[in-house]
Amino acid sequence: MSITLDQVTKHYGGVPVVNDVSLDIGDGEFFVLLGPSGSGKSTLLRAIAGLSGVDHGRISLHGRDVTHVAARKRGVGLVFQNYALFHHMTVADNIEFALRVRHMRARARRQRRAELLRLVALEGMDNRLPAQLSGGQQQRVAVARALAHKPEVLLLDEPFGALDAKIREELRRTIREVQRELGITTVLVTHDQEEAFAMADRIGIMNQGRLLEVGAPHELYARPATRFVATFLGAANLFLARRTPDGIQVGGKTMGGGAERSPGAPEHEVVAVVRPEEVEVAAERDALSSRYLGHGVIDEVTFTGALERLRVRLDEAVPAPLLASGDSDGSTALQVTRTRLAHRGFEVRRGQSVAVGLRRVHVLPTPLSSFTACAQSAPLADALSHQPLLAELVARMKTRVALRVEPSLGVGDEPCQAQGEFFGTTVIAAEGDNAQRAEWLLRRGVKDLLVLPAHAAPPQRVLIHWMGEAARSATLAVSASVVRHVSAEAVYVGIFPGRSDSERHSHGMRELLDARSEAQATHGLEMRTELHFGDVAQELTRRLAEAPAQMLIVGITELRHFAESFRALLDGGRWPVLIVQRGAA
Amino acid sequence: MSFRKASVLPGFGLTFGFTTFFLSAIVLLPLAALVLSAASMHWSDFVRVVSSPRALGSYRLSFGASLLAATINVVFGFIIAWTLVRYEFPGRKIIDALIDMPFALPTAVSGIALTTVFAQNGWIGRYLEPLGVKVAYTWLGVTLALTLISMPFAVRAVQPALQEVQHDLEEAAETLGAGRLYIFWRIILPTVLPALLTGFTLAFARAVGEYGSVIFIAGNLPMKTEITPLLIVIHLEEFDYQGAAALGVVMLAISFVILLAINLLQAWGRRRHVRAAH
Repeated sequence: MSITLDQVTKHYGGVPVVNDVSLDIGDGEFFVLLGPSGSGKSTLLRAIAGLSGVDHGRISLHGRDVTHVAARKRGVGLVFQNYALFHHMTVADNIEFALRVRHMRARARRQRRAELLRLVALEGMDNRLPAQLSGGQQQRVAVARALAHKPEVLLLDEPFGALDAKIREELRRTIREVQRELGITTVLVTHDQEEAFAMADRIGIMNQGRLLEVGAPHELYARPATRFVATFLGAANLFLARRTPDGIQVGGKTMGGGAERSPGAPEHEVVAVVRPEEVEVAAERDALSSRYLGHGVIDEVTFTGALERLRVRLDEAVPAPLLASGDSDGSTALQVTRTRLAHRGFEVRRGQSVAVGLRRVHVLPTPLSSFTACAQSAPLADALSHQPLLAELVARMKTRVALRVEPSLGVGDEPCQAQGEFFGTTVIAAEGDNAQRAEWLLRRGVKDLLVLPAHAAPPQRVLIHWMGEAARSATLAVSASVVRHVSAEAVYVGIFPGRSDSERHSHGMRELLDARSEAQATHGLEMRTELHFGDVAQELTRRLAEAPAQMLIVGITELRHFAESFRALLDGGRWPVLIVQRGAA
Repeated sequence: MSFRKASVLPGFGLTFGFTTFFLSAIVLLPLAALVLSAASMHWSDFVRVVSSPRALGSYRLSFGASLLAATINVVFGFIIAWTLVRYEFPGRKIIDALIDMPFALPTAVSGIALTTVFAQNGWIGRYLEPLGVKVAYTWLGVTLALTLISMPFAVRAVQPALQEVQHDLEEAAETLGAGRLYIFWRIILPTVLPALLTGFTLAFARAVGEYGSVIFIAGNLPMKTEITPLLIVIHLEEFDYQGAAALGVVMLAISFVILLAINLLQAWGRRRHVRAAH
């Protein structure tokens, strides 16, 4: 591996800017770090270059641990957005800078400079000053300068940001050619997804300091795993859908079969992604070549050259809750793009009613689909749905909160009074008797239950624990989903009964490492681990009481002794607790 | 040939006329009067006045101490400016404001204050005395006073230039393998050099013309601690206006030559860059 990052974390003023990032970049790979501004991608690049230190984690270049090595000894080449050329030096002096520092002889320097200038197609510009060059030429000089000392790794920090479209295109090609010719491992940071698609062998997408997903461009586009990646990488329509034994149901109509089918699994709620080009519109239902979803009205038609963009407002009658559509502007019109060909086949106008079909539906593996605020009365449920942490989660997950009234919540053997099963994550307010009310809901089919104190804010640390191996995978998946949407650090708290001794200690450590690697490999969740010995509820309570702004995610497999073991944790409502119930008979 | 150049602001004729008038009335005419006044002397009288041992001694002190003060200020002014630009620390704003104090103080007050501190029984002078270092009433005191009053010029000239040195440049140099000293000599210093020279020029010009603060701390012994401006005043007090004018002309000439030399040096530096570019 050329570049290996292991749990790299960097805080600024207590806020994690880079949060537990682990990543391997192969030899000669062109890797693009993509993310919105403030996602931590530039900070991560600077950490690789050695210009900013890390608070936690390790960075290795070609197997050499460079975490504490100064930038000038790391052997990397860095290209800045604003070129950062030395203005008082000529092009030649700029390029030879690294060689002079290394006391290379004048003849060898001249030779290397000529090579580099040829590489970036700037022959004969040796004696110009940077001020006499165009922006594109200056950036070429910067690339040549960064390559002069034959670095093992080339880092590019938004190198095209200050250039206009045409020059950008040209420089992109040059850099890609140079990279291929030298076979140098390259990391490029950008917020431009088109640029990422055009250049990358693999893309890593960052948001809020976390590396969310890594993959080949087409893979990430076709099969994103998270809402953020689905909506950031190209436009996407997000639906709340059902996974049933027959396949994926959107708006009550079965859409995907095939790979999306999972016979035997109980029906549950999922988030489905439909790309705008996978939506079909036709004059009537029979003219559709894809699965019919419902009717809608054309809201807007925009012509963009090769493609035509439509916004289609689905009829009220279509029971397909559209969570978000690409622009994240809060509007819930379906985004559609059509080719010229489709346009010629069926022309549409604003205000026209059309039949809408979906060609391909991709289901996100995220276990958190939507929230249901559950309380004894409608006003209480409504108040709960506006709780700050819940509102924040809902906004960041681009999902919605449903209300559910259960007048006899927590009362003995009373049955549910509201219609229908529980879908998604059920939320109750933390009051008295939380353990009892939680058990009441969990016994009535709630899978994920969030017990939320009124004052709880987005946590800075999420503690993770599961009781029983059967809940492990689901707990990790839920934790990964939560942690992606709040900028908190994840800590797995392993607790073993009895007192610590060296044998049990090493056994415990092994389990922690197993859990950590599963979290990383299967759920893309980077977490720290802690090892404790003693009573589970006691240890968790102690750990939660240690610092403010913590949240607990706990997996359970059975409800025997639930009230006893959870009373200390839940009653008093001092912290948010998310209970994940899986594997129960 | 036309002077005119397209500009956003109209009224070139008016502004150019005003500039010429203003410069003539405020700068050139008085200088011309000075030169004329000196020119009315007989040549041998002129030479006698300006090359008397006392006058020569005063030139040496005036220009020597001023050059020394300007040099000190360039070095320490750079360090002060660096501290103010590069670091965030409590009281930074206050220190920044203190820099300008010598501007605001009547120079005589500075002189008296310095004398109080550095006299043989002063706060600092009393500890320097046993070491055999005398500051007040020696050339050291003169240099000290000149350094004090010209310090803001150096700091204020360098400060904006340092602010402009992009941090990126240093980081780029660092990733290319350069150490701190190398970065300072090859990147930072060349970038702020023009500003440093300007600071030097301003500080020097201010120091040469200084009178108020120096006469208190200098002791004013002829040949030893007597600066040229004081000698001019002495001539004036003896109603020897022509002698004063003669000394003034010599100061003017020396100052002009030194300032011109510095300007040429700067221009040469700029030209060297442009030439390298073709």
